[in-house]
Formats: sequence, C-alpha cells, structure tokens
Amino acid sequence: MKFRNSLKNVFKFIFCPTLATIHSPLCHYSLPLAAFILAASFMSAQSAFAYLSISAQTDRTELTITENLYLTVTVSANSGSAPEPTIPPMSSFNAYSSGRSQSISIVNGKITTSVSFTYILTPRFVGRQTIPAISVYNGREKAMTPEIEINVTKSAPVKPPAAQSRPQQPARQNAADGAARQTAAKADIPIFLKAETDRKTAYPGQQINLIVRFYTAIPLTSNPQYLPPAYKNLIFEDLPPVRNGEIAIKGIRYSYSEIKTALFGLSPGPASVSPASVIAQVQSDEQIDPFDPNFFQKFFSMNGAQGATKEFRTSNLTLNILPLPEGAPASFTGATGKYTISSELDRKQTRQGEAVNLSVTVSGNGSLKTITAPKLSNLTNFKVFDTLSSLSISKSNDIISGKKVFTTVIVPRSEGHIRIPPVKFSFFDPEAQAYREIETAPLELKVEKGDADAKNFNFTQPGAQAVSATGSDIRYVSDKASAPLYANAARALGGVAWQVHILPAAALLLCLWFSNIQAFRLRNPQLFRFKGARAAADKDINRAEAELKAGRLKEAVSVLYDSFMEYLSGKTGKKVSALTTRQAGELIMERFPHTDGYYLEEIRSFWEQLEMVHFSPSSLTAQNAKDLITTYTVLIEMLEKEFKKK
Amino acid sequence: MIATVPSFTDYRLPVTGYKILQVLACCLLCLCAFSCPAAAYDKNELAEINDMYKNGKYQEALDGYLKMTDAESANPYAFYNAGNAYFRLGKPGFAVLYYAKAFKLLPRNPDIRSNLDYALKQTGQALVPDGVPKSLHYLYYFLSDLELKALAIFFFWLACLAGALRALAGTALKEKLKTAPYTMSAACLFFLFWIGIRYSSPFTHGAVAAAPAALLSGPGEKFKACATLPEARLVKILDEADEEFYEIGLPGEGIKGWVKKTDLQKI
Repeated sequence: MKFRNSLKNVFKFIFCPTLATIHSPLCHYSLPLAAFILAASFMSAQSAFAYLSISAQTDRTELTITENLYLTVTVSANSGSAPEPTIPPMSSFNAYSSGRSQSISIVNGKITTSVSFTYILTPRFVGRQTIPAISVYNGREKAMTPEIEINVTKSAPVKPPAAQSRPQQPARQNAADGAARQTAAKADIPIFLKAETDRKTAYPGQQINLIVRFYTAIPLTSNPQYLPPAYKNLIFEDLPPVRNGEIAIKGIRYSYSEIKTALFGLSPGPASVSPASVIAQVQSDEQIDPFDPNFFQKFFSMNGAQGATKEFRTSNLTLNILPLPEGAPASFTGATGKYTISSELDRKQTRQGEAVNLSVTVSGNGSLKTITAPKLSNLTNFKVFDTLSSLSISKSNDIISGKKVFTTVIVPRSEGHIRIPPVKFSFFDPEAQAYREIETAPLELKVEKGDADAKNFNFTQPGAQAVSATGSDIRYVSDKASAPLYANAARALGGVAWQVHILPAAALLLCLWFSNIQAFRLRNPQLFRFKGARAAADKDINRAEAELKAGRLKEAVSVLYDSFMEYLSGKTGKKVSALTTRQAGELIMERFPHTDGYYLEEIRSFWEQLEMVHFSPSSLTAQNAKDLITTYTVLIEMLEKEFKKK
Repeated sequence: MIATVPSFTDYRLPVTGYKILQVLACCLLCLCAFSCPAAAYDKNELAEINDMYKNGKYQEALDGYLKMTDAESANPYAFYNAGNAYFRLGKPGFAVLYYAKAFKLLPRNPDIRSNLDYALKQTGQALVPDGVPKSLHYLYYFLSDLELKALAIFFFWLACLAGALRALAGTALKEKLKTAPYTMSAACLFFLFWIGIRYSSPFTHGAVAAAPAALLSGPGEKFKACATLPEARLVKILDEADEEFYEIGLPGEGIKGWVKKTDLQKI
C-alpha cells in the first residue's frame, strides 16, 4: 500500500499541477520513464487520472491558401461539464466556430464528459504557419495543447475554387446582392462592407441569420481581418465557412467574402447588432487585375506587398424580439424551434439501490443552448440525483440544429416492474406560431432485490478536489453554559458522604437477618409458640381487665378462658381445649416432668372455675371476675417458673 | 405435570421488610433528586465572554471563563474555554492544566480531547501514548472518574436493594430476583475495578507544571536538583504529605522527585 501511495505521489509530483499528458514535455522523454508513468498510473487507479485534459487535431497539416482547415479541440473532464477552450488570437488564420458535440458518461456514479469543439480556420498567409497552444481552464487546473504546424501553399493558378470554400449560395443571398447594389450605386465605391439580417422580427429563441459581406473591387495586400459586432439581447453562433464569390454591380465586378452568424433573441423587446468591422490593407500599386478570376490567389501569392490600412464598418442593425403568445402549456420552459423528444434507460434491468442512467434527448432546430431539462415527474419509486446535460450542435445549411441530452441518475428504491412515466416537453413553433407539447414513450424497468452494498450508492462528482489540511489549531470555544446532566448527577452522587452508603448495606443486613428469623420461625413453629405464650397471656390479661372495667364481665372471663387454653396449648404444643383437665395434667407432666403436683392442682382448680363461670355466667360477679384475673396472673407467673425447671 | 402458578401471596413481602425497602427506595430517590443539575451559567453572559474571545480579548474572556469555573466546578466546558483563552494568551502550562481539568470531567468530548492533545503536542507530549491504540485509549477514558464512582455507588445501592428485596420476597419473586443482586454486585465491582486501573492514569492525582520547575532529589531546597520540569509537563503526584513539596513521578522517564507545591497545579 505504501509502495502504491509513494508511486501515486511521485506520479502526482511529476505532473503537478495538471495531469494532462498531452502538453507534458515528459511525454517525449525516455521509454523507462514512460513505462514507469504507465505502471504508476495503473496502480494509483482513478485518482491519478487527469481531472482535465485537452487535445487538438486538424484534418490536415498542409493546404493551399484558398482552402479551409478543420480544427477539432476535444476537452475531457471528470465532471458534469467541460469548460470551453480559449482560442488565442491567431495572426495566421481566421477562426470560426463550426459546432460542438458532447458526450457524457456516468458509470458507478463517476462522470466523464468529453466535448469536441470544431473550428474552421481560413489561412491568411502562405508559408509555414502555426496554430498556437489552445488552453482550457476549469478554475482549478489548466491544460494546454501543443502548437500545431501548418504548411500553407500557394494555390495552383488555374485550379478551380474548392467546392467547400464555395458553397451553394442560399436564395436570400439575392437580397444581400440587391442591398449591395444599392450601396455601390450611391457612389462608385471600390470597397465596402454590408451587414443585414434575414428578418427584422423574431420570437425569443427563433433563429435570425446575420450576413456580413465584404465587397472589394481592388486588390488587397493582406487578407482582411474581420472584427465581429457586439450583440444586445441576442446570443449568437457562427455559421462557417466563409463564402467567397463574385458579383457585378453597376458594371463593376466585385469579389466578396461572406460571413454568416445565427442570432437568437433572448427576451421580448428591442435587440441590436453593433457595427462589424473589416480591416484591410489596400494596395496602392494596382498590379493585379481585380477582375481576374484568380484574384485572391494572386493576391495572397504576393508576400510582403505593402498597402494602406483601411477600416470598413457596417451600420447598426435593430431587431424586434416579439413576445410569445399566451396559452403556453405547463411544461413550457421557453424553448422555441422545432423539436422531437425521446428517452431511454442505459439498461432494462437492475437491482434495488443500483444507479440507472435515464437519458432524455431533445433534438431539432433552435437555440439548443438555452433549453432546460424537462421535468421528471412521478418518480416516487426512485431517488433522483442531479441532471447533467450534453449538447451537440451542427450548422448544416446555415441552420442551428442538434440535440441536447439530459442524463439523470436514478436509483430505484423498491423492487418489481417500475414504470417511468412519459416526460413532457413543450416548445413554441415560430413557423406555425403555436405551442406544441410532445412527450416520450413510457419506459419500464425491472428491478430486482438489491444487496446491502447497493443501497449505499453515493453519487459523487469525482472532479471534486479532496480537502487537504494546510494548518492546525485548537478548536473554538464552546457555547454550552452548563455541565451535562450526567456530569452533575455523577458529581452529586459521588459527593454524598460515605456514611450514607452504609444505609443500604445496613438495610440489606437487616433484611437478611429478618429473613433468617422468618425462616427459623417457619422451621420451628412450636418453639415460637412456647416462647410467645407468656407474652400472649399478659396481653390477654390486659384485655380482660379492660373488659372488666367496661363492665363486660362475661367477655372478660371469655378472654381469660381462651387465653388460658392458648397458653397451655403453647406450652404443651398440643391443643388443650379438646382435652379434659386430667388429660391436660398428664400432658403437662409428660412435657415438663419436673412440675410440682401442686401446680397441676392449681391448674385444674382454675380451669374448673373458669368453666363454671364461662358456662353459667349468671353466677358471675365483678369481684369473681377480678379474682379470676388475679389468679390467672399469679398462676402464669408460677407456671413460668415451674416450666423452666430442669 | 401440573404447572404451579404462583399466587399473589407468593409475591407479598412481610410488612416489616416492605417498610425497609420503602425507606431504601426513598433514600435512593433522594440521592437522585439531590444530584439534579446545578443552575446553568447565564447563557447571555457566556455569549458575551465568547464574543470577547472572538474579538481577541483573551484576557477579559479568560476572567469570565474563570468566574464560570468558580461558579460551576463540574462544568467541563468552562474549563475547556479557559484552556482556550490561556492557549491564546501563550500560557501552555495553564492551557494544558485547564484542558486536563475539562478532560477529567468529560473525557469523551471530542473538542476537549482534540485541544488537550494539541496543547500537549505543542509541549512535546501526547494524549495517547505511543503504541497505544486510539480506540483503547478512548475506551479507557470513556467515563470520567466521577462517573465511574457514581456508577459504582449506584450499582452498590441497587445490589443492596435487590438483595434486600430477594431476602424478603415470596418464593416466586425470589426466583425472579435470583440473579439480580449478583448482576448488580458484578456491575459495582466492574466499576470499582475500572476506578482501580484508572489510578495509574496521569490525570488521576495529576498535576501540571505551570512554569518550568526544578525536580529535587528530596523534599527541601538543600537537595540537589536532578531534573527540570518544562512548562506544561504533566506529572503524577505520589505523595503530598509534606507541607511544601509534592513527591512526583514522571512515568515516561521513570524519574521521581520532589517539586515545590507552588510550582505545580493540581488537575
């Protein structure tokens, strides 16, 4: 692992700050180094790949002065969008944007974007020319292409113009010719610049073509430099290539170069095109016949020719951007043109929690750049992530067309056959002057039960930079005013005097003792009855005295009778009330053999007295009752002593 | 076989036992009520003090934080904030001291741990000793000394209550409470054991050198100085019986000696 990391660090160190190999001089170094880089890049996996790279290539490296060159600049990035490259000022070429195509891929949450920008370059001078380094910057990294050498040669004198540099002129060119004729007719002007649009009013997003023509009837010492106009309330797209041609106006033959630009209104209201300029060096010594069919070839063949620099400007153009009519559908987001829509999933079957790419493609004519993503509705069974868009534009026949693909990562939450409802898209058709609402066909996705790992899918843009600490410090102060509850509780409980904690221990010991006593009592019931007999008798004597005081003589005697029976039962361990006095006497002798016979006689006597008053209460007087209580008290006292004899 | 369903009387406790348990339960409740949180320090006042800290008035902020520590000696955040103010004032010794005090009260707080570690590292020490896994160190200090003590007490009370209940309970309840007293006792012993092993922690009976101090070979000025304690050095107090000197140990270096009590601040 350490070896791998060290290799990764070395790799990063070598290529820091950018990992774009294309412009690294190390690419041209020795084979061992290249091998090492390759090995390190494999080991360090994706994190070692470039976040941003750029490459440039031309369709040829040699061309004649009358031909055009196609330059394709490809920008790749590990993010949802790739920045547009910066085309540096080129003294040797005029550059026009010809279109772009974008591809985006999302695999396992990792996004890769590749955008190809196509430019048409028109050479200005014969000789070895250089396309300078083209750079791209994404705010963190910068990548550059190497310079490209192009050999521009003279054209053959009799060679007919190349087909691609002389495209078919559209019908509306006639209008431009008419305007030029008017301009030329006003004065006998050998060179002039004319700009006009194919329409003066348009809806927002409807294409307007701006045509700028540079007419010259005299030779030029250099290829004229075109300075495009500025636009207000309009966005634009170049419509290359530059068309060249000849026209006769008022008997004068003009050579012209035509540059077209597609304009799109942004919002209702006035829009304007500021003057465009052409800077040209006009040859003072007219050695070349301007009416020569090979005027340009001859002109560009004379290297180093001198002339006066003149600037030619067009007039200001004003356009009116109309408001869109009312009645737009709910799904309308401002698109104007003619479009179709389709959708597709990158797979038909997936597992719960696994990411699926849903691509909605809007194709057609119009300002595709300004189209926003159609709303995805009723995707309740999915977790929906951000939508990424890729744009491809073509400019054939001077019409901006292409497609915009909106790719959304969706993750099914549940299993089963899940239907993805149609996606609606609305646009305004300027030709029909009506809104159109189109929709995709519904899609179906079979979702199987996923595993636990799949549910933890994270959609991250790998282009994001890792945070690296640049320093360290103590953490900030706390805003908690009080100690946590448990800390206070612990402090209070811990602060209680240790003596307090004896209490539970003492209680435990007490309970254990009590429990033992209870157990012993349960095991020896007779012993407790024997020991408790005297105390019970004393209680009963008190009760009997109370009854006597209350005048309830009968009750007092009853208490004494019951108490006496209980006492004897407690002492002998058998129920005495069921016995006769004789049997009771024998039982006492058996239990306490050392008992004096006198006490047995006393017992018998007291028992008989009790029975007599108990069963014939009419003979009972207060004095009798009192005597009985006294006798009982004395008898108990004596018996206690007698029973302890051993 | 007919299952024996315990009757209600099987669960009944004898009246006396029930009363004993009632008293015990009331005592435990009183202890819990007694341990309710102290009144929180005024939040607005704290916000003002924090504003001073934010605006770089560290000395004024420190005064405020120290007032808080006086008012609430169990508030770890007050000690933590005071440690921060000391740190900003360039007093690492006191910063470590106050972070250590906060750490003793709330050792699992990530902010306290982080700042104590940071301050210790600034002075050539480390919160987690070399070779000790961080997770083990975190577990070892998961509970504060006070929390360990409180838990041991709590489980001691519970064990006594469960034991008493079991002693007085009927047959069925006794069966149900068969293991409860032993479980509570085991928990109590566990926390006592934890307290025991925490005795070796540098934060238990620990102190910090607020300023560089001389480590003497005996408890008196006449003894030879055998080492110098750098500022913010954590030491362990071995004996504090002497009036003027602490006997301290430096576990890392295997040195022990005596330092003037005025040179050390107890955690």
